Amino acid sequence: MISPVKIWRNQKHIAKQLGQTGKIISWSLIRVPPEGFSEQAPYPIAVVELTGKAKILAQVVDWKINELHRGQKVKTVVRKTIEATQDGVIPYGIKVKPI
Amino acid sequence: MNITVLGTGMTVFGERWETSPRALARDAVKQAIVDSGCEHKHIQALYVANMLSGMLGMQGHLGALFAEELGLSVPAYTVEGACASGGLAIHTAVLGIMSGQYDTVLVLGVEKMTDHKPEQVSSALMGAGSNEERLAGATFPGLYAILTRSHMEAYGTTEKALASVAVKNHYHASLNPKAQFQKSITVEAVLRSSCVADPLKLLDCSPVTDGAAAVILSKRKTNTGVSIIASQVASDTLGIAERESLTTLIASTRASEKAFIQSGVSQKDIQVVEVHDCFTIAEILALEDMGFVKKGEVGNRISEGEFTLGKAKQVVVNSSGGLKACGHPVGATGVKQIVEITNQLRGRCKSRQISNARVGLTHNVGGTGATAVVHILRKDTI
Amino acid sequence: MMGIVSYGTYVPQYRVSIEEIAATWKKDPDEIKRALGVAKKSVPGVDEDAVTIAIEAASQSLSLFDGSASKIEALFVGSESHPYAVNPTSTIVGELLNIGHAYLASDLEFACKAGTAGMQMIAGLVGSGEIQYGMAIGTDTAQSKPHDALEYTSASAGVSMILGKQNVIARLESYTSYSSDTPDFWRRDGIRYPSHAGRFTGEPAYFAHVMGAAKRLIEKANIDVSDIDYCVFHMPNGKFPREVAKRLGFLDTQLKQSLIVDRIGNPYSASSMMGLAATLDSAKPNKTIFMVSYGSGAGSDAFLWKTTPGITLFHAKQKRLGCFVENQLHHTRDISYTEYLKHTHKL
Repeated sequence: MISPVKIWRNQKHIAKQLGQTGKIISWSLIRVPPEGFSEQAPYPIAVVELTGKAKILAQVVDWKINELHRGQKVKTVVRKTIEATQDGVIPYGIKVKPI
Repeated sequence: MNITVLGTGMTVFGERWETSPRALARDAVKQAIVDSGCEHKHIQALYVANMLSGMLGMQGHLGALFAEELGLSVPAYTVEGACASGGLAIHTAVLGIMSGQYDTVLVLGVEKMTDHKPEQVSSALMGAGSNEERLAGATFPGLYAILTRSHMEAYGTTEKALASVAVKNHYHASLNPKAQFQKSITVEAVLRSSCVADPLKLLDCSPVTDGAAAVILSKRKTNTGVSIIASQVASDTLGIAERESLTTLIASTRASEKAFIQSGVSQKDIQVVEVHDCFTIAEILALEDMGFVKKGEVGNRISEGEFTLGKAKQVVVNSSGGLKACGHPVGATGVKQIVEITNQLRGRCKSRQISNARVGLTHNVGGTGATAVVHILRKDTI
Repeated sequence: MMGIVSYGTYVPQYRVSIEEIAATWKKDPDEIKRALGVAKKSVPGVDEDAVTIAIEAASQSLSLFDGSASKIEALFVGSESHPYAVNPTSTIVGELLNIGHAYLASDLEFACKAGTAGMQMIAGLVGSGEIQYGMAIGTDTAQSKPHDALEYTSASAGVSMILGKQNVIARLESYTSYSSDTPDFWRRDGIRYPSHAGRFTGEPAYFAHVMGAAKRLIEKANIDVSDIDYCVFHMPNGKFPREVAKRLGFLDTQLKQSLIVDRIGNPYSASSMMGLAATLDSAKPNKTIFMVSYGSGAGSDAFLWKTTPGITLFHAKQKRLGCFVENQLHHTRDISYTEYLKHTHKL
């Protein structure tokens, strides 16, 4: 079970990152996921430069293959991240979606 | 600096189902002690390099554990820096000797990775990355794949060039009785292997391995010995999003520059290197970032067979088979690199011996480049 | 004067067609489309849930709102797919949208009318002057058992309505509710899929309550159906809202802008609210909207809205930001039945 306290601390940062746009700098498609991501695989991850120049590493959602390229515009959204156990707290986090 | 490598030892690397971490350690250390001509009582401290024992096996406090296991009642330390744990332990041991606190010390790198499911190991290895990377579902192949893509876009590096790195290292490993994969492979086989994280395929990635390596370091001189003449460490951001560049691991550049200055040698003086090829792209980055080859030019030269035993014009890279083919028991790798270079400089590598090895370099990286450790070793002349 | 000051919607982009579902169970898709009046239904992404969908809709309503998130003093989220049996969806939404800490939060459940129940409760708080602005959200990732009839319609979406007294774009002229104990559709705690009582969900359930609430509202507000410009009803399928509209004397032209069910199926707590949003999207000033929701178990919430001149400016903002319901319905991705099972965690 993921620590609810860690989830709580992490989620305090989400509000700041929500509602931002940016562009993909580089990406890869994860076909062999780590624990806690098997339902979501395969999924792309990308280094994204947000307007304001900060860079993040995030999962890409609602994507089409032709949207995975350097320069693709994206926006930040909130989604579930690590798959929680049946009785655990659900972690939410920032992912990016092509626009 | 002049720290003598008195003795070396390493286990066979591979899926060692029946061999516990304690047994792996005993095997490597026994070889090192015999090789050194030392006795137990001469060893004054123990440095243990390991990354995953706490995370996967719930066992920490490895300094105390292995000191007891090896019958050494000495100060014992555990050093961790993800995949650079081995190099960092060597560096820490060097500092221990340079401080005047110890004359002779034992460095043991040991890792047991096959006791757990691949997905668990993959997650545990992400302990070397940032929390943001873990929450994104990133894996090491994925992060290095991002670096690969950027490198391809910037320099035209091809999948074939990447595959050539794996082919070369498998060829070298086929000559190494301690390697995990003692079998050559072809470029076609690499290109055909299944995609793990686009564009990196299964055969672009180093395996999951059990193994241990040990070296005894001393301020004592020996006639036919090998010395460490530079030991340098550099750091960079934990996650790749915060890096200045996605096509350079600047920690490698910084550590190697300091090592060249410390040792007084430069790239052209070096005949053999063991670099951190956790993924094929990492070998390309290593040679570029340490100034052996210009940025973007490794790809072509590797495809043509350069850096291979018997064909290399400049330097042989990863004569042991590297992480890719010799195997990558995370904590042991940095120590194993010292073992390989030492034995190349002593002429003990048999069918994979480089004919004129006088100076060698090891390059050990933690995570996606957050830590880099570079050692330079030289054969002592009488 | 009190009413809607802003609203936002979200529909996940994935769609599974009736044909795809029917093919698995070897049923005739045309017959099902005729019986249910639905062509496709919306499916959430594997990492979406009622919380993330609520955040999307609320986010949109806040981007069109003339004020900061901290002005919201009450937040109610209605759903039948709250991720937790105990732990509020509303505070996760509030926290991640930076609403601050000075607000009343509560989660509601009442099958498909949990969202509209929230709207009436917010209306009470705003109307009494206790709060200035409140937000009511209806959000769902509706579940249904494979092979069950509900599989063709149970969909996913979210709608957020902000109510207040200033800058009102649709005034709340009158509202009422009609409730009874009618077990037409239910889900026991800990049980994964809902159950229903077949044809019992029709006349004694949906029609009795929608008609009951509608008649009460007509009487209370003292209006004539022919004076009303638009109507919106809960849409469990394409047939029921059309039938109840006819029975009440409404025409096709009054109902048609609300019929999102034809394109996305039934997103439960977001259904009638989405119909309202779609209607508001194209409504000119001074138009009346008659709205009745339905929640199994059972009850109906009825509202009479009247748009204000302020809605013109609101439409301009929506246009600039691409925030109409139509924008949500535009970018879609068809998926297979197997992918649908994967997305809804049945695989």
